[in-house]
Amino acid sequence: MTLWSRLRCWLAEILHRPRTEEEMDAELRFHMEAYAEDLLRSGVPRQDALRRARLEFGGIEQTKEQCRDTMRANWIEDFAKDLHYALRQLRLSPGFTLTAILTLALGIGATTAIFTLVEAVLLKSLPVSNPSQLYRLGKDPDCCVRLGFSRPAEYAIVSNELYEYLRANTKDFEELAAFQAGGTFLGVRRAQSANPAETYFAEFVSGNYFSMFGLNAYVGRVLSVPDDTPAAPPAAVMSYRVWKQSYGLDPSVIGSIFNINDKPFTIVGIAPPDFYGDTLSNVPPDFYLPLATEPFVKGESSLLSKSSAGWLNVIGRIRPGTNVASTETQMRIELQQWLRSHWSEMSANERLDLPKQTLNLGPGGAGITTMRQQYGDWLHILMLVASFVLFIVCANVANLLLMRGMERRQQTSLRIALGARPTRLVQQALTESILLSLMGGAMGLVVAFLGTRMILHFAFDTTTQVPISAAPSLPVLLFALAVSLMTGIIFGIGPAWLATRVDPVEALRGANRSTRDAGALPRKALVILQAALSVVLLSASGLLLQTLRNLEHENFGFDRNHRTVINIDPVLAGYKPAQLPSLYSGIHDSLASLPGVASVAFALYSPMSGDGWSEAIYVEGKPEPGPNVDAGSGWTRVSSGFFETIGNPILRGRPIDDHDSDRSRHVAVINETFARKFFKNEDPIGKHFGKAMGSADDYEIVGVARDARYADFDFTKPPGAFFFLPQSQSSEYGDPNAASTELRSHFLHDIVIRKQPGATLPDEQMRLALASVAPNLPVGRIQSLDQQVENNFSQQKLIAQLTSLFGTLALVLASIGIYGITSYNVARRTNEIGVRMALGADRMNVVRLVLRGAFLQVILGLMLGIPLAIAGGRLLGSQLYQVPGWDPAAPAIAVGLLALCALVASLIPAQRAASLDPMKALRTE
Amino acid sequence: VDQQLNLLQGTLDMLILKAVSLGPLHGYGVLLRIQQISKNRLEIQQGSLYPALYRLEHQGWITSEWGESENNRKAKYYRLTVAGKRKFQSEAEKWNRMVDVIAGILRTAPEEV
Repeated sequence: MTLWSRLRCWLAEILHRPRTEEEMDAELRFHMEAYAEDLLRSGVPRQDALRRARLEFGGIEQTKEQCRDTMRANWIEDFAKDLHYALRQLRLSPGFTLTAILTLALGIGATTAIFTLVEAVLLKSLPVSNPSQLYRLGKDPDCCVRLGFSRPAEYAIVSNELYEYLRANTKDFEELAAFQAGGTFLGVRRAQSANPAETYFAEFVSGNYFSMFGLNAYVGRVLSVPDDTPAAPPAAVMSYRVWKQSYGLDPSVIGSIFNINDKPFTIVGIAPPDFYGDTLSNVPPDFYLPLATEPFVKGESSLLSKSSAGWLNVIGRIRPGTNVASTETQMRIELQQWLRSHWSEMSANERLDLPKQTLNLGPGGAGITTMRQQYGDWLHILMLVASFVLFIVCANVANLLLMRGMERRQQTSLRIALGARPTRLVQQALTESILLSLMGGAMGLVVAFLGTRMILHFAFDTTTQVPISAAPSLPVLLFALAVSLMTGIIFGIGPAWLATRVDPVEALRGANRSTRDAGALPRKALVILQAALSVVLLSASGLLLQTLRNLEHENFGFDRNHRTVINIDPVLAGYKPAQLPSLYSGIHDSLASLPGVASVAFALYSPMSGDGWSEAIYVEGKPEPGPNVDAGSGWTRVSSGFFETIGNPILRGRPIDDHDSDRSRHVAVINETFARKFFKNEDPIGKHFGKAMGSADDYEIVGVARDARYADFDFTKPPGAFFFLPQSQSSEYGDPNAASTELRSHFLHDIVIRKQPGATLPDEQMRLALASVAPNLPVGRIQSLDQQVENNFSQQKLIAQLTSLFGTLALVLASIGIYGITSYNVARRTNEIGVRMALGADRMNVVRLVLRGAFLQVILGLMLGIPLAIAGGRLLGSQLYQVPGWDPAAPAIAVGLLALCALVASLIPAQRAASLDPMKALRTE
Repeated sequence: VDQQLNLLQGTLDMLILKAVSLGPLHGYGVLLRIQQISKNRLEIQQGSLYPALYRLEHQGWITSEWGESENNRKAKYYRLTVAGKRKFQSEAEKWNRMVDVIAGILRTAPEEV
């Protein structure tokens, strides 16, 4: 038979199904009638002839079904029939259907919600052309600014000079672009606008940045190489988001002048709407500025011409067919050559470190993947947790189906007796379960959407704009579909197969009196699995909650209550260093006069704000530390009154106060760790140290403050060495980098306000007070110090909350499962219970009987769950703080909770069994 | 006594092809034709005939069309296709070879081994 005729036949089968069915009837009827006539002719009486013809023919329906089986199109028809049948069955038992769909929606929804985040954070590429051709410098993202010629692990961020050197010498890249690591907040005001400057996030990018990504402007044009030259008129590209949110898509924005840090820029175009920058972050760039304009905007704190300051990420589009490994080798050689050309500027340690300096090329299609590093671990944990919940959901629904299968035993055995093939019955049952899971999946998408929105809301500050959409993308939809199909098969296939394992004779026996229960073992196994998984989840959430509590109650060494932190940016407003003292005293007086304010102080950055400066320390009278000696210390610059305002007690000596002026001797306050680290067994007060070898006598130590967690974000380690310098004093350095650092450190960014207890201080009042002193000073975030500290463990908080949510969900589902199976067993054994009661069993015996059955499974589940929970705790290890992974409290509480819920869930049916009337129970069929 | 033999597994298809090779037949006719040629020595389950006919038609060895029966009733007639004819010939040849071999084995006397 040719392919065409086969196809035609197949089509005819589908299209003319009713006719074929009719024809089959007619054909068989003809056969029997013709045979009956022959029988008649041979002398069989008329009334017997047709009957005998039928009998001798055999099973007519079986014959028809066999005929249908021979035709290929059958599965489609079978499927349509099964679908129809399944829909009818589901409609007939709305309670079961609703329970199953809701349970599935929760399980699939939870998993899909987490997957939405996994997809956006861990899997997605940048919305640029051919992201697979992009390669970036650095295996791990590095941020912001690195000074000097030595890097601890690799060169991930480079200076402009090194970028230009690499671009000029590496021919394997079609384009090699650079852009600022971390970006900058800038004050932006449209020229001739009456509104004050607003703070926006900007990024300096090389002229070929957009062409390297293959991006065109949404409106106007993108930046080009000629824009990135010192002589070019300053040009900027605005993000679509800002254009829409702040300027209502006003077309006159393009071509108009915007003052950025009080410097005029022409907006030449709008970036594509889906382009959120090179880094997935909660502060996407609002403006893209050419690298060449960095000195114009930043003035004296510019980094562009500093060859030792690494502040640029590098991404390039590699030529097709290039061997990336050899490009990497070549670039490593280039790095060494470039470093050698700066030999004369290097310190002794840097010269020693030079041979170790290296760089790595990694895939750059996803841009700078800071979020992957940041959220990867906990997304993996959450994915694991969500899949546990999904397993429990599967077990629950499988149990529902098993019980349903048992109830339908009679019907199934009748159908088998009538000639239905077991494979068809399995197919039919599977159709039903997949239909259920698909409906559950569809509802799950709604759950996932809401869940993702909730997670995004809690995970990221609401004031920022993380470019992750909760709306399901195509991969997410496919994921949900695949998960639905898989769960449908996983929970459906066992019950479907078991349901067909019935003896056709049972159908003839009438009531199902057999005490053998084919599905008992798998049902019990499922409850055991549920109990075990619930213990694991509950115990994990216990550990994470304990971690969160430990973090929140950690003694940070300063007082978090009644403190407010205001972030300002005097650099943006164009203040000169000489103007700063009067600016700060003006702000101090204005804020201090507000009702409810107890004291006001300033810091380069306040504790746990996310910022951190550190420097190598040289102690007077001690030799220069070798290259492998850790001589580093964190530091900040503060105003007088800072220690009292932040609540950091001075243990010895005095704090920084009003006596410290630019004319008095240079002083420093150190913390306890600093004292231990650099002055073991010595009294530090009166000793001198400095930030460079030539100025080891620069600062005299006047006080020792109690150790406080200032910029140490690794909670597993104790706070490191730290020192405080007064805002009012500054030192001269010959080295331009050191001089620049010294200069920048005088621009204090955080105002700390101590409020009187019980006082309320509206944000607006503080903004007004600031505006009255410095109207053009950009004011950023205003938040309580407590909130600022809490922001540091928003991740831990979210993961603990979500795991608890999932744990509770697991507990509820497992309880429902235990309840369902116990009441099913009670219903099935009504008769038996009646007999027992008639023979003298009292109510307590019956309750015990039922509870024993339920608890055997729970106890087995717990026995399985406890080692799993301990293993899970070890897996969590790195996410925990001051809680050992094997902490016995968490599994113990989990076990207790589960046992309690199981008791309640099985007591209800047990109570029902105990209140049976023995006479009625005996009569139940 | 002529005892009726049960059909050997797999031979019904061949018999049907033989029956319809002699001219178009309806299902009942196929049954009668086989019984007639075999002189009633074969027992054919009537019900098993139709799945076989459908299968052969689906495989393309036979085709069917509706026609008038002897007593002016509508009946479905089966006819051998060209492919079916080839199939039948090869099957018949295989069968004959098989019968020869088996018969040869069974005829063998003990001393010949």
